[in-house]
Amino acid sequence: MSGWDAVNSPKSQPGSSSSRKTPARTVTLGRVQPQAPALRTIFCNDCDANMAHRYRGNSISTTKYNIFTFLPKGLYEQFRRVANLYFLMVSILSTTPYSPVNPVTNMVPLSLVLMFSLIKEAFEDWQRLQNDKAINNIPVDVLQEQGWETLQWKKLHVGDIIRVKQDEFFPADILLLASTNSDGVCYIESANLDGETNLKIRKALEKTWDYLTPEKACEFKGEVQCEQPNNSLYTFTGNLVIDNQTLPLSPNQILLRGCSLKNTDFIVGAVIFTGHETKVMMNSMNVPSKRSTLERKLDKLILALFCTLFSLCLVGAMGSGIFIDRKYFYLGLLENVEDQFNPNRRFMVIILTMLTLLTLYSTIIPISLYVSIETIKFIQSSQFINKDLNMYHAETNTPASARTSNLNEELGQVEYIFSDKTGTLTRNLMEFFKCSIGGEIYGAGMTEIERDISERKGIKVQEVQMSAGSVREKGFNFDDVRLIRGAWRNEPNHDVCKEFFRCIAICHTVLPEGNESPEKIKYQAASPDEAALVLAAKKFGFFFYRRTPTMIYVRESHVETMGKTQDVSYEILNVLEFNSTRKRQSVVCRYPDGRLVLYCKGADTVIYERLGIGNDDLNKVTRDHLEQFGSAGLRTLCLAYRDLAPGFYEGWNEKFIKAKSSLRDREKRLDEVAELKEKDLILIGATAIEDKLQEGVPSCIQTLSRAGIKIWVLTGDKMETAINIAYACNLLNNEMIQFIISSETDAIREVEERGEQAETALFIKEEVRKQLKQCLDEAQQYFCSPSGPKLGLVIDGKCLMCALDPSLRVMLLTLSLNCASVVCCRVSPLQKAQVTSLVKRGARKITLSIGDGANDVSMIQAAHIGIGISGLEGMQAVMASDFSIAQFRFLEDLLLMHGRWAYIRLCKVVMYFFYKNLAFSLTQFWFTFNTGFCGQRFYDDWFQSLYNVIFTALPVVFVGVLDKDISPSLSKKYPELYKEGVRHMFFKWRVVALWAFFAVYQSLVFFYFISATCSTSLDPSGKMFGLWDVSTMAYTCIVVTVNLRLLMMCNSITRWHCISVGGSILAWFLFIFLYSGITTPLDRNDNMYWVIYILMGTSYFYVTLLLVPVAALLVDFLYLSVQRWFFPYDYQIVQEMHKDDIQSTDPSELLESKQQLTPDEARCREISQLPKEVSRHSGFAFDSPGYESFFASQFGKYVPPKAWDVARRGSMRSKATPK
Amino acid sequence: MTDPNRERYRIRETAFYLFTQQSLPACKPVLTPGWVITIFLFMGLIFIPVGLVTLRASHSVVEIVDRYDIECVPESSRIDKISYIQDDSIPKNCSRFMKVRKYMKAPINIYYQLDNYYQNHRRYVKSRSDKQLLHGRKYHDTSSCQPVELNNGQPIVPCGLIAWSLFNDSFTFIRERAELKVNRKNIAWKSDRDHKFGKNVHPFSFQNGTLIGGGKLYPKIPLSDQEDLIVWMRTSALPSFRKLYGRIEEDLDVDDVIVVNLMNNYNTYSFGGKKKLVLSTSSWLGGKNNFLGHACIIVGCSSLVLAIVFTLLHLKYRRPYGDTSYLPWNRKSLSG
Repeated sequence: MSGWDAVNSPKSQPGSSSSRKTPARTVTLGRVQPQAPALRTIFCNDCDANMAHRYRGNSISTTKYNIFTFLPKGLYEQFRRVANLYFLMVSILSTTPYSPVNPVTNMVPLSLVLMFSLIKEAFEDWQRLQNDKAINNIPVDVLQEQGWETLQWKKLHVGDIIRVKQDEFFPADILLLASTNSDGVCYIESANLDGETNLKIRKALEKTWDYLTPEKACEFKGEVQCEQPNNSLYTFTGNLVIDNQTLPLSPNQILLRGCSLKNTDFIVGAVIFTGHETKVMMNSMNVPSKRSTLERKLDKLILALFCTLFSLCLVGAMGSGIFIDRKYFYLGLLENVEDQFNPNRRFMVIILTMLTLLTLYSTIIPISLYVSIETIKFIQSSQFINKDLNMYHAETNTPASARTSNLNEELGQVEYIFSDKTGTLTRNLMEFFKCSIGGEIYGAGMTEIERDISERKGIKVQEVQMSAGSVREKGFNFDDVRLIRGAWRNEPNHDVCKEFFRCIAICHTVLPEGNESPEKIKYQAASPDEAALVLAAKKFGFFFYRRTPTMIYVRESHVETMGKTQDVSYEILNVLEFNSTRKRQSVVCRYPDGRLVLYCKGADTVIYERLGIGNDDLNKVTRDHLEQFGSAGLRTLCLAYRDLAPGFYEGWNEKFIKAKSSLRDREKRLDEVAELKEKDLILIGATAIEDKLQEGVPSCIQTLSRAGIKIWVLTGDKMETAINIAYACNLLNNEMIQFIISSETDAIREVEERGEQAETALFIKEEVRKQLKQCLDEAQQYFCSPSGPKLGLVIDGKCLMCALDPSLRVMLLTLSLNCASVVCCRVSPLQKAQVTSLVKRGARKITLSIGDGANDVSMIQAAHIGIGISGLEGMQAVMASDFSIAQFRFLEDLLLMHGRWAYIRLCKVVMYFFYKNLAFSLTQFWFTFNTGFCGQRFYDDWFQSLYNVIFTALPVVFVGVLDKDISPSLSKKYPELYKEGVRHMFFKWRVVALWAFFAVYQSLVFFYFISATCSTSLDPSGKMFGLWDVSTMAYTCIVVTVNLRLLMMCNSITRWHCISVGGSILAWFLFIFLYSGITTPLDRNDNMYWVIYILMGTSYFYVTLLLVPVAALLVDFLYLSVQRWFFPYDYQIVQEMHKDDIQSTDPSELLESKQQLTPDEARCREISQLPKEVSRHSGFAFDSPGYESFFASQFGKYVPPKAWDVARRGSMRSKATPK
Repeated sequence: MTDPNRERYRIRETAFYLFTQQSLPACKPVLTPGWVITIFLFMGLIFIPVGLVTLRASHSVVEIVDRYDIECVPESSRIDKISYIQDDSIPKNCSRFMKVRKYMKAPINIYYQLDNYYQNHRRYVKSRSDKQLLHGRKYHDTSSCQPVELNNGQPIVPCGLIAWSLFNDSFTFIRERAELKVNRKNIAWKSDRDHKFGKNVHPFSFQNGTLIGGGKLYPKIPLSDQEDLIVWMRTSALPSFRKLYGRIEEDLDVDDVIVVNLMNNYNTYSFGGKKKLVLSTSSWLGGKNNFLGHACIIVGCSSLVLAIVFTLLHLKYRRPYGDTSYLPWNRKSLSG
């Protein structure tokens, strides 16, 4: 229908696209806009003629590498990391004679890390290759020699005539020639392109309608002249030259790759653009990858480590310059001394020793840290977030999905949430919920917020059983037997009821559509509220089924007598439409019996102003009802009517017609005329419509705000609606002090009416400044007192635009940061992004945006974390997001559980890496003091190189994956715990200093305990230990201690912890048994030969192995006890509170409980464990998981969700179209 | 039929389910005061006995240390000890008297101890050729032995600074005019003798250069039997070290006076190093070393003290564990 209406403006954003980095992949077509030749000529059905142009084939390749480029390119990518580059440098340095260590020391960890990364890359690329292959081999019917022949997609050429059947995807960009539908029309679904699931119409040129059969199609010899391939999805210019006729082509005839054919048996078309030249492929681009705050902080830590490294080296180098002397004759320094030890060239000695020490202390930089973190994050996102059953939405079969794995821990530090309203907080579903007729409330339901309030008061809410007679439908959630099925006739005020029903059946601007039966009719309404009202009327027995320009037809039941149905036609004389100033809508209608009535519905304020005298009781009762509805979060409308005398009407109508035909100030005059009639109204009652919230939204918001997260609602809706929802969601309440900055003031309106743009802008700005200042002054007094009332701010888009001006920005920021909740209404997508980055940049807080629609894309990309609501229509938000969830309430799990854990775990991992490398390297440093600062290595090369990658590598990964401080239910029960993450409790310089202290202390213990003991013989036979015996002893102690330290920092210890810690220690012993037991003729390790056996032959070994780790960990343990005793973290207290909770730790018990899953639960579980099926929606050819699995699934092939590197996944160009 | 398979599959799947839902069975240790006190107490109870036992072993060792590097230089030469030690014409023999204060049971180990001697210096440590030591002159690549690699174009066996600077003071022990028998065999680790030093490798061109670093070797004896060299070449970890010289295989009684006739050949004077002679018995834990015992006792005692302190704290300022009033959000509501 209107698929192309929205097409007129090119939807690309030049600003955002130019700021994007060029993706590092072979396909970089997105930005290439070939200029010449400006035209492309395609000879349809003429292979040879097209040959000359050498158009590219239809096979696509989204791989990053091929066999030849893999190594150089892959390595290049790897060495863009500073740590890797540093290690490369050190490795090169260690091949020089200045190095105290074998090159192997630094090469091994580096190459292991590189190998791991490269294998990962290769695996990933291989998967891409498989997917490309699967796609390239999809069959399609191609016209060959008078018949359809099935070929693979990749064999398509430009100019081929192809046939695409129903539900198939278009293999290339195609010119539509003919369709089996009449009028050459076909329907396509473009969900993969833009997320819109509604069908769109494409229509072939009349001239080509006949080329449907192969025989006929063979005769088609057209020549298409069109633009060169480009990435604009919604434009196409070209001509079709056929039979010397030139016919213009428009996007209406083009079927884009990535769309699928619907409701059409098949179509015939000519291929125009193939492969990478299709519009969809030219659109593929990479979302800028976001880095988490923790990672940025980690960079600083690494930098600090570099500084430490340099200062250690400097100290050592200075020492060596001072130490070196000829008097040590045994060093042979008399003649032919190399520069490094030449006492005559002390400066040179210092420089060269510096290099030596750099290679020696290189272990201080944790090379495997990044790889470990990546692995941990990948497991966290792919196994935990994606497979969490609590975040699995069974109704839409949508699990949560982490589209990037590098923001997990950021989820644990969010302080501001920016939420869209429609579709995110609400379901965009209006339901008739309650009404008040003639002073009586009908409707027994309970809104989400009411339930929430009463739950907070401790009242157990019983789920109201739907009475048997209730009628439910989408848009009608009303439960009261007193009104349904004509029962209203028995009510005392049944006349008012009748008026009520007629009013909602007649007073509207809804259009009925489709079959005129109650079951099949569809209402087209300007607003969903209206549709809900008309629907309600239908349910009450006043079925509005037809509208003509002058008449409204209503099928009324039970009016005269019970069970009788009659069609009544009302003549509509005037419609006084709704607008934002009038806030009401009126209809003048004439009954078949000649009665003239004005029905009016509108906001309570405007209706009450216009009520006639009398009936005060009713008005008062109804007002109470309205307030009651309002506090329950319902949207209310007042209904009123007035009988008109024919004479009065005629007079009025003349004025009305005059006003209607006036040329100047028509609107204003119409309003004035309407005022004449809309008075002395009689109140009928009020309706209450529930803007249906998503399930669990108020309680989720409540929990999140207890977690210290501030929630801002950014919506394009009107201020009233927004405030209403804010109330419904518990964001605003009456205890709050609210600041409202609105452009809907009389002063502003007055200036606006003068129509001078510049003046208006200036005025508004001044006005906003005044308002802001006033609010800020008022708010200031509450800032200091923590127990003071909470503040709320409501601001509309126009004011926001001014307030975002640099001069006012600071004020806005100060005010809004001190508000518990902020509601921005009438904001454009751009403003959403601006507000987000205002907080992100201005306040330096971690922000999260959540939204479901295309209008949220900019906001999602602007925030630190973008979350898309999936499972509904449209995948644009999801495609631009970092995480996608099906329901707003899942944020609770995502943030409070996954985010919090990810943060705590990663902090632990980082700190542990820092500590273990520092402790290890410092022993080496202390040793340097005992060697005349010469840079002699303390440890064997292999010890040093395997320390990071084998003996201490695995357990920390397990901690990063499995550590749990408190159970998920507790983290939701005590959302305040989340604040620890927001305050950076677990990774700040104080924590770093603490760990550094532990590392220094422990390294001193390691070195001095061991060296102090080995001054005498340690063997009954009196033989002495040498350097390598001592260092092996020290190393053993370090490996044991460091691994035990990890166990000490665990909050929960699974058997995997024990296995990995035990395994690491065991691995060390196995290694040293082999290493010191075997000497090969090639590479004799005389130094280490038999060392461990000598050591283990002494009792000293065992005493020391008992003593040193305990002595080293004593201080840590003391710290842990004192810290928990006197300065406990919040989570520790919660741990203690629930220490004795029964945990089902017994696996058999859990097994049983698993068996007790209901079939449904079991099914959900099974489903959630499957790879996610998002293919229906996800961006076609955008290198997204759905894309692959979709095509793979067509071949019956199982493709697991893509591994790592989800971050670089492409998405489509964001489109910031207002919804 | 497929039942065991299915069972296994089910178990595996359950494990995976527990993993993805993050509910793997785990023990969750909470460091309550009880645990803290128990652990400290336990450590105290373990380490104090261990410390006492090791300390006792250390105390059972009798050790006599005699520094002789200054005394063995004649008074007249003490101003310029370096020229004294470097002058080959002056006889270097010297006698020391050592009084046995406590009964010493054989075998009594004889050590020489050097101070300020950087055997762990990088230039020193690497100046050896392990392959040459094993294979002798058959092995040619001795570049690692710089700067003591060749002599007049001939490879030196054993090459390198370590061998070159071999310690060469020698000691004889006389008790009541009878020479004490000193066993100088089996002073090196067996693994060194058997696997690092060749049985058929004989010293060659050793200490023939212009500069003599230290001791000489008997050209006739294979390296694997030159235990002095083997001991010397197991370089020490620290700049102050002892090396085993031999063993006296007779008991020494209280108040025995041992006359040590020694050849004070080795030059430690140029870098100010000390030389000491040590006679020591040994226990199951080796030589006299109080550190290990003291450290154990200190760790044990401090654990005990901490246990007591924590107990007192626990009794006096008992923190109710899991007290909700500690939670900041509760605290705030209390104060506000």
